[in-house]
Amino acid sequence: MEFEIRNKPDYASLHFVLNTGEAIQTETGAMMGMSPKLKMETNMKGGLMGGLSRMMGGESVFQNTYTGTEDGQRLDLAPSAPGDMEHIHLDDATVMVQSGSYCACSPEIAIDAKWGGAKTFFGGEGLIMLKCHGSGDLFISSYGAIHCEQVNGSYVVDTGHIVAFDDSLTFNVRGVGGGMKGYFLSGEGKVCEFTGTGRVWFQTRAPGSLAEFLHPFRAIQPKND
Amino acid sequence: MQFDIQHRPAYALAVVSLEDGETVVAEAGAMVSMDTNVSLETKAAKKKDEGLVKGLFAGLKRMAAGESFFQNNYTAAGPGKVTFAPTHVGDISVHEIGAVGLMLQSKSYLCSGTEVDVDASWGGAKSFFGGEGMIMLKATGSGPIAFNSFGGVKEIDIDGEYVVDTGHIVAFEDTLTFKVGKFGGGWKAFIFGGEGLVCNFSGTGKLWIQTRNPQGFGEAIGPKLPMRQG
Repeated sequence: MEFEIRNKPDYASLHFVLNTGEAIQTETGAMMGMSPKLKMETNMKGGLMGGLSRMMGGESVFQNTYTGTEDGQRLDLAPSAPGDMEHIHLDDATVMVQSGSYCACSPEIAIDAKWGGAKTFFGGEGLIMLKCHGSGDLFISSYGAIHCEQVNGSYVVDTGHIVAFDDSLTFNVRGVGGGMKGYFLSGEGKVCEFTGTGRVWFQTRAPGSLAEFLHPFRAIQPKND
Repeated sequence: MQFDIQHRPAYALAVVSLEDGETVVAEAGAMVSMDTNVSLETKAAKKKDEGLVKGLFAGLKRMAAGESFFQNNYTAAGPGKVTFAPTHVGDISVHEIGAVGLMLQSKSYLCSGTEVDVDASWGGAKSFFGGEGMIMLKATGSGPIAFNSFGGVKEIDIDGEYVVDTGHIVAFEDTLTFKVGKFGGGWKAFIFGGEGLVCNFSGTGKLWIQTRNPQGFGEAIGPKLPMRQG
């Protein structure tokens, strides 16, 4: 399997060349273009319960797997938001990925959507983390640029900006600080404090802020009485 | 205090390095990440030498400008870093405030040093009109200020006169005088030409404009979204 992240850094897309029997699993709706000799299968990731928990997070229940039935078949994927993409190679390791940032991975990587630890914490922000583990290639996308911070000790990231982090880090979701005033008046949402050693990837723009900006531009529902 | 703007020009991120005890003031909601030795204090925005009433008035003026009544102060205990990003895709510029003050379109303000006073400035009745938020912020004092643009930012040296669409103004030096008016071409052009209001600048000084108009973007996307409750 060959891959290349193209059009970096502003409008990144992902290019694969798959030979016979080689496969890649992708987020639904990410396919931008493909050669005709690719077989596409749709399956429910992480079983029925996994699918349901993904659905609750506003994510697609299904995943697509593209398999080459001839050599040299190309597949081009595009994430939904303008931004960058990053390749993470996993060697029997685990990375937590915010579900909206997941784009594609090799079939050897298992995505555990049942994992609900962060769901409870991130509930208010509508964020679900996917647990990606195994050995292979993982591709993530961001809204804006992807900034990688090597944490050695502790580090704080706004929850709306989290893209992914190494499972070696422990995390704790909390208010940004500054007491009650900070909580209610700072305009800052919740932050995630990471402790330990590992990488955390965050995006330089937040989809939630864009949605808030656009809200007043929505038409007003006429009152029908 | 050092400002390092990374991921330019499309998705800029301001990385502010603070020394022990240093403080950076930032727009509400702009913080992206920080070291754990940086702490936040949310304060009503007022100048150091202002009393309570004046401070309250300054806060209300800021609200009228579409800014938060409160400002977030991030202070480091030991060297620490904090990063800030605006809402929209686009660039961030850093400018040193000195003898010349800076007028900012209120949504362009991102963060500044503590010696920079950021106050709402009533541009006069002429500049007051709905939608475009032409109540400006006025930054005076000394030190760095970071401001963001929607799209790319273009710095223009004005010596004489220049006309800019109000939705594209980011900031300008207060040595420039400005007058808001309708675009030339009469009422037909104003109503059907889609050009809205423009700002006529004159004098000598720098002007920063943005290559996209947030209002225009909102109007393009808003009607495609589900309707909201009134």
